[in-house]
Amino acid sequence: MNPSSQKPIVAVTGISVRYGDVRVLSEVSVNVVASEIRVILGMSGCGKTTLLKTMVGLLRPTAGSVRLFDVAIGEQDDPATIAVLKKAGVLFQNGALLGSLTVEENVALPLQMHTALPPALIAEIVAYKLAQVKLSGTGPLYPAELSGGMRKRAALARALALDPPLLFCDEPSAGLDPATAAGLDRLLLDLRRTLGITVVVVTHELRSIETIADNVSFLHGGSVLFDGTLAEARNFTRGPVSEFFSRAAPPSPTGEGGFRYGFIVERGS
Amino acid sequence: MDSFQENPATIITLPANLDHLWVEQSRIFDRREAGLILDFSNTARIDSVALCAIRLLQETMKARNGRLVLRHVSDEHLALLESSSMPLEPAQKTVHSKDEIFTSIGGRIIDARNNCVVALSVLVEMLYWGTIGVLKKKEFRKGVVGEQMYLLGYKALGIVGLLSFLIGMVLAIQVAIQLKDYGASVFLGPLIGITMIREMGPLLTAVILAGRTGSATTAEIGTMGVGEELDALRTMGINPIQFMVVPKFWAITLTMPVLSMIGTGMGILGGWLVGIFYLHLSSAVFWEQLSENLQTEDVFAGFIKSVVFSWLIIWIGSYFGFRVRGSAESVGRETTASVVACIFIIIVADAAFSFIL
Repeated sequence: MNPSSQKPIVAVTGISVRYGDVRVLSEVSVNVVASEIRVILGMSGCGKTTLLKTMVGLLRPTAGSVRLFDVAIGEQDDPATIAVLKKAGVLFQNGALLGSLTVEENVALPLQMHTALPPALIAEIVAYKLAQVKLSGTGPLYPAELSGGMRKRAALARALALDPPLLFCDEPSAGLDPATAAGLDRLLLDLRRTLGITVVVVTHELRSIETIADNVSFLHGGSVLFDGTLAEARNFTRGPVSEFFSRAAPPSPTGEGGFRYGFIVERGS
Repeated sequence: MDSFQENPATIITLPANLDHLWVEQSRIFDRREAGLILDFSNTARIDSVALCAIRLLQETMKARNGRLVLRHVSDEHLALLESSSMPLEPAQKTVHSKDEIFTSIGGRIIDARNNCVVALSVLVEMLYWGTIGVLKKKEFRKGVVGEQMYLLGYKALGIVGLLSFLIGMVLAIQVAIQLKDYGASVFLGPLIGITMIREMGPLLTAVILAGRTGSATTAEIGTMGVGEELDALRTMGINPIQFMVVPKFWAITLTMPVLSMIGTGMGILGGWLVGIFYLHLSSAVFWEQLSENLQTEDVFAGFIKSVVFSWLIIWIGSYFGFRVRGSAESVGRETTASVVACIFIIIVADAAFSFIL
């Protein structure tokens, strides 16, 4: 089935987002279909995290709309929004585990809050989820006692606790060593293969993008500059997209704009 | 062509290592010639201080229609000097026109209105989720209220007891001096007792808890905001007020009257000691006079005050916690503001109660 003909699970339509007077996103549209791994990429400060936060309802767009599973995302206390967000897991950039709870309490939290499962079964599920992210035995520890990579994996276990069909990840491999980052990428691919979940990943880690992405949306200056498959992005030959994939540095301002200080130079002896 | 006459005094031969020491020693910015020639013949290395100094010198010379010439400068050094990494135009200071001042005032009014709306919404949500919401929802973590009661109540017991005891003694000594002169020493018991029960016990406990619990609540919620933990709760469909504030609301509602009672008792004890050892009253007279004059309304007023003060502490502490944005500095700022606002509002409420109860 052609992905473009499928009904999108995540439908972002013409959203604009401002922080005070600063416009961060401008008329951004992104559609993500079932079982797709969509990577939202771009240089630092281009609005990737803002887009992700808008997708999960943490920020309200000044224009446009966000729909998850065909439900419009509204205010945070809107019952329909709360209900649909239960179908989505979110992995934050620094994990965002609750520091006052142990790892197992963190993972158990969504299960305790949103299900009527008996405590013994919740404990079993928590152990399974921790094993899934290769963190067996760390349950009684507090987040402060874990390394950065372990915190992210624990946060992923929590995001997956309710087996959400949709997962949002903000910079999952940022700050991790290459082996741990590759492990997380493999885990995301495994989850998609075994559970068929849809994943939206915000990152600028090229290695990670090349490993996991089906489709990419390239943000530049708050707008979508490119939207298509990873292969198409690699073959894109113009502007920031090409520079990003060729790992080329952007031209220096001096080279492009000419000399600005206007020094008078004497070369002769 | 040249607007200045080249002479040896206008030529500055730069050293091989052009660094901050040269900038400091050469006093290059004190030169007042119409033109200067910087000779780079010997220069192999330029550090960032010297680089910025030469750029600034160029701008200064341009501004006074002078002329700076770089002689024998290598392409590499020239590229460094010309790289446009800093703005050429100095940042303009904002000059507020009349309209902008009105815009600014309007903005502040809108901000104040928004802050009031947020504060009220925190209060309404706290009261709703703390009462009706608890019955409606099962989303109430077991054991948390007990844990919070231990932290907010039990841990504050020592300081509340000690300070109340000392305040009771101080108050009693001041009163005793006057009563002794009028031969009315027997009234020390009711004076201290009723003052502590109606006024000082709940107020002192509230002020101590505002500094202790109010600030801790702001700092905890604020730090969670900075660490995206509140966002994580929201994306899990968990209301942060329900999760964070309601257990504290119940814990303080249950412990504050008890703390207030203990504080009141310690204050009266301090007064009793002054009565016994300073006024040489008999213990029986002290307690007899107190029980004769004490009304049920006094106890009721003290109880109501302690409950309302406890709600004010958690409400204001939480509100300032949710106001934290971005950084650790913001946590500190809002925590300070929270304590100040909390004590202020408690005293205002106490003044209001004086007329009502």
